[in-house]
Amino acid sequence: MKKQLQITVNGELRQALVEPYYSLLDTLRDEMQLTGTKKGCDEGDCGACTVLLNGKPVCSCLVLAHAAHDAEVITIEGVANGQELHPVQKAFVEHGGLQCGYCTPGIILSTVGFLESGEEPSEENIKHALGGNLCRCTGYTKVIESVLVAVKATNQESEE
Amino acid sequence: MAELSAIGKNSIRVDAMDKVTGRATYAGDVYLPGMLMCKIMTSTRSHAKIVSIDTTAAQALPGVRCVITGSDYPDVRFGSGALKDRRIMAREEVFYIGEPVAAVAADDEITALEAIGLIEIKYEDIKHVVDPLQAISGKSVDVHTDLEDFEGFGFALGGNNCTMLDSDRGDVEQGFKDSDVIIEETYHTQPISQGFLEPMACVADVEANGRLDIYASTQGPYQVRSQLASVLEMSIGNIKVTAMEMGGGFGAKLRLALEGFPAMLAIKTGKPVKLVNTREEAFTLNGPRLETNIYLKTGVTNDGNILAREARSVFDVGAYLGAGPNAGVGHGLGAYSIPNFKLRSYGVYTNKLYVGSYRASGVADMNFATESHTDVIAHKLGIDPMEFRIKNALSEGDTAVNGSTIPVNGLMETILAVKERMGLPKKMEEGRGVGIAVGEWRSGSGPSTASISVNEDGTVSLLTGSVDISGSDTSLAQIAAESLGLRLEQVVVAKRNTDMAPFTGPSGGSRIVYSQGRAVQNAAEDTKAKLLDLAADWLGVQADALECAGGSVYVQDNPPQSLDLGQLARMSLTSRGGPIIGIASLSSLPYAPVFNAQAAEVIVDRETGQVRVTRFVQAQDIGKAINPMGVEGQLEGGAVQGIGRALSEEILIDKETGQIRNPSLATYLMPLSVDMPDIENILVEVPSADGPFGARAVAESPGFGPPAAIANAIFDAVGVRIKTLPLSAERVLAAIQGRDADEYTVDSEALRAAESV
Ligand code: FES
Ligand code: FES
Repeated sequence: MKKQLQITVNGELRQALVEPYYSLLDTLRDEMQLTGTKKGCDEGDCGACTVLLNGKPVCSCLVLAHAAHDAEVITIEGVANGQELHPVQKAFVEHGGLQCGYCTPGIILSTVGFLESGEEPSEENIKHALGGNLCRCTGYTKVIESVLVAVKATNQESEE
Repeated sequence: MAELSAIGKNSIRVDAMDKVTGRATYAGDVYLPGMLMCKIMTSTRSHAKIVSIDTTAAQALPGVRCVITGSDYPDVRFGSGALKDRRIMAREEVFYIGEPVAAVAADDEITALEAIGLIEIKYEDIKHVVDPLQAISGKSVDVHTDLEDFEGFGFALGGNNCTMLDSDRGDVEQGFKDSDVIIEETYHTQPISQGFLEPMACVADVEANGRLDIYASTQGPYQVRSQLASVLEMSIGNIKVTAMEMGGGFGAKLRLALEGFPAMLAIKTGKPVKLVNTREEAFTLNGPRLETNIYLKTGVTNDGNILAREARSVFDVGAYLGAGPNAGVGHGLGAYSIPNFKLRSYGVYTNKLYVGSYRASGVADMNFATESHTDVIAHKLGIDPMEFRIKNALSEGDTAVNGSTIPVNGLMETILAVKERMGLPKKMEEGRGVGIAVGEWRSGSGPSTASISVNEDGTVSLLTGSVDISGSDTSLAQIAAESLGLRLEQVVVAKRNTDMAPFTGPSGGSRIVYSQGRAVQNAAEDTKAKLLDLAADWLGVQADALECAGGSVYVQDNPPQSLDLGQLARMSLTSRGGPIIGIASLSSLPYAPVFNAQAAEVIVDRETGQVRVTRFVQAQDIGKAINPMGVEGQLEGGAVQGIGRALSEEILIDKETGQIRNPSLATYLMPLSVDMPDIENILVEVPSADGPFGARAVAESPGFGPPAAIANAIFDAVGVRIKTLPLSAERVLAAIQGRDADEYTVDSEALRAAESV
């Protein structure tokens, strides 16, 4: 039976009436018209559906919508600050970190989550942080390059 | 030529902003009011007669709007090429596990799924065959007993052989007689998935006037339109296909895939119907690549001249010829000049999911065989593998396999560039090794069209029918900008559908920048000529005294005397010629080869057989890099797909039933960021004669060489030769320990005999 839930998505309180088996991913896409989050497998294997749940990257296909009741969720639609791109988005645009773009929302959210985790942003750690995000187009070289550029940009910003 | 302003500059993709903000709309993101959801039911039998299908219970389920089976479609067959062997949905017989037999449209997906479970089908099993070598031996059942009735039957030998392609030159037998050394080997490549991240999706709607409106994830909207028209027996004019943003295709999305199911359900219900494949269906409903067995025989002289080659490749095509082995046949030679050859490739039916295309289907398989074989020969002769390649490489003026003359190209430059960057030859410590592979492809051709209109503010709108693949829209915009002397931002690339844009070939085979790009350049030239004519009238000078650059048309000898493009566009609205629009249309361009060389350094763990690629260098003759950042991205992505094919990717197929056993991303192992070395690219630019600004094709080639380069590196590291893909740890370990690695043999005598029947 469908049950009511509420989630703060990209800073906005959203409500939905969904079945108990509904995933957070399906709720975002089907019920909240937030189709930027992608479904590549629905099994937790590709990372295309990554969102930030209370600040941490998760595969939204593996999270039941009702388990996210009252939580804070950031999706790709909420990463930019209005018209101004997040440094991670900017780096991916400028350094060829995307091709078909289907993995991109997930990779950007994993990156944002990683940068906010405070972990040392070495190339090694970055590769591990993106270890759950499949990309079939880029071969990862420019993805990693883009993240490294974003790391630099964020460091400079915090120094300023 | 004046200095280029837009071409050759790293350019931000025109779709980048949409893609990083989640605004890009893929087919699965289309939600229409009142939309129904569709699910497909598939066969559970390898080969069987359908005795009965009972859909009563499914129809009666609340929320179900329509159930269809094969008999709801006109009784027509279609095909990917000349041979029409396939139905959209099974009728009397199923030919593999996973063949669509029914489809449901319901208010939501769960109900559709439940309805599928309520459909009852009675089958009567028929003998089947899974192994292609058995299927072609003449000693098994025939998958299709009515092969000879199929439209387009003509390249087939009969039995299970549905296509045989050949290419011959010189006298092979004499060539072998004159040779000092003859080497015969068999190689085997595995079934693989294209691995696109976006499972196919489609929304079909019917307009009030009965026209079908299709939103698809496709590389070939016009191909989907014509195939849909034929399976539904509709007129092409009654179908509109909108190619949405596409989450990777790599050949898998070139043709009609699942669009026919929601289309028929939409026609029957009068409502929009959506079908989104699950990841499992991405493996089991769309054609992957199946196994290939390749027999090679080569005669050489002691001093390293190749005199003769016989190559016979057997391509498993599954139950239908979803994509041919065609591309494979000419690639039995590799990038070498060989005076005498006999090349054959055979497509064989088996009771499995039919094959689709994947990044130069067949060529990648052939490359693993021929480039491993090249190394084997060099070692046998005691010649350095790089030097052996250099000695036999094709050069300008040689005759290509297809009989045309090899035009100017950068093959030697790519080989030498990789040699230098890798520091070859080099001796590495035990357990480490380096290997190379060289590849050949052609710049894709085929019908291409473009139009450019000049807007009242001096920007231009570019319209082509081609789907953006790998950033091609950006390159096309750069070509238009360069030709018209504009900045990239001044070119608007229209989002289009088949009603709006003129016919163009599909986005595949590395044809967009080369052929479509040429059409855009021609359209820009046409636009420019019209701008100059109009300006000449107003400025009172001859058109040939004018130049178009920097957003305006000016008198060459007196630049201040000028009109900007916006002014001209506004003037054109009331001029005799009317609004300015440039167009171009072409059917094909001459052969422009694309050569590349790739080298891998590996570490092999002798205890586990694990292979790790520690360095990967590649050079490709791309003619002219329109967008270097985009070119590099293509090369890197292709190389990593090739590394996956080399080391870990394999669709496991049940030997008894032909069923796919690992249809998930947890069990089908594609490379992850943690597994990959940085890829080093060298862009060699030897301009082609006809490509826009000298460009050649890019996308297919980087996927070719990694398996052979890595296999050759493994041999260099630990002295074992693996002839079966993938080069998995088990296989490498078995070889190191001297155990039998899987060996496949192609009965070349039987193949020779089959041809003479
Ligand atoms: S869709 Fe969630 S991990 Fe693939
Ligand atoms: S850009 Fe296509 S999957 Fe990553």
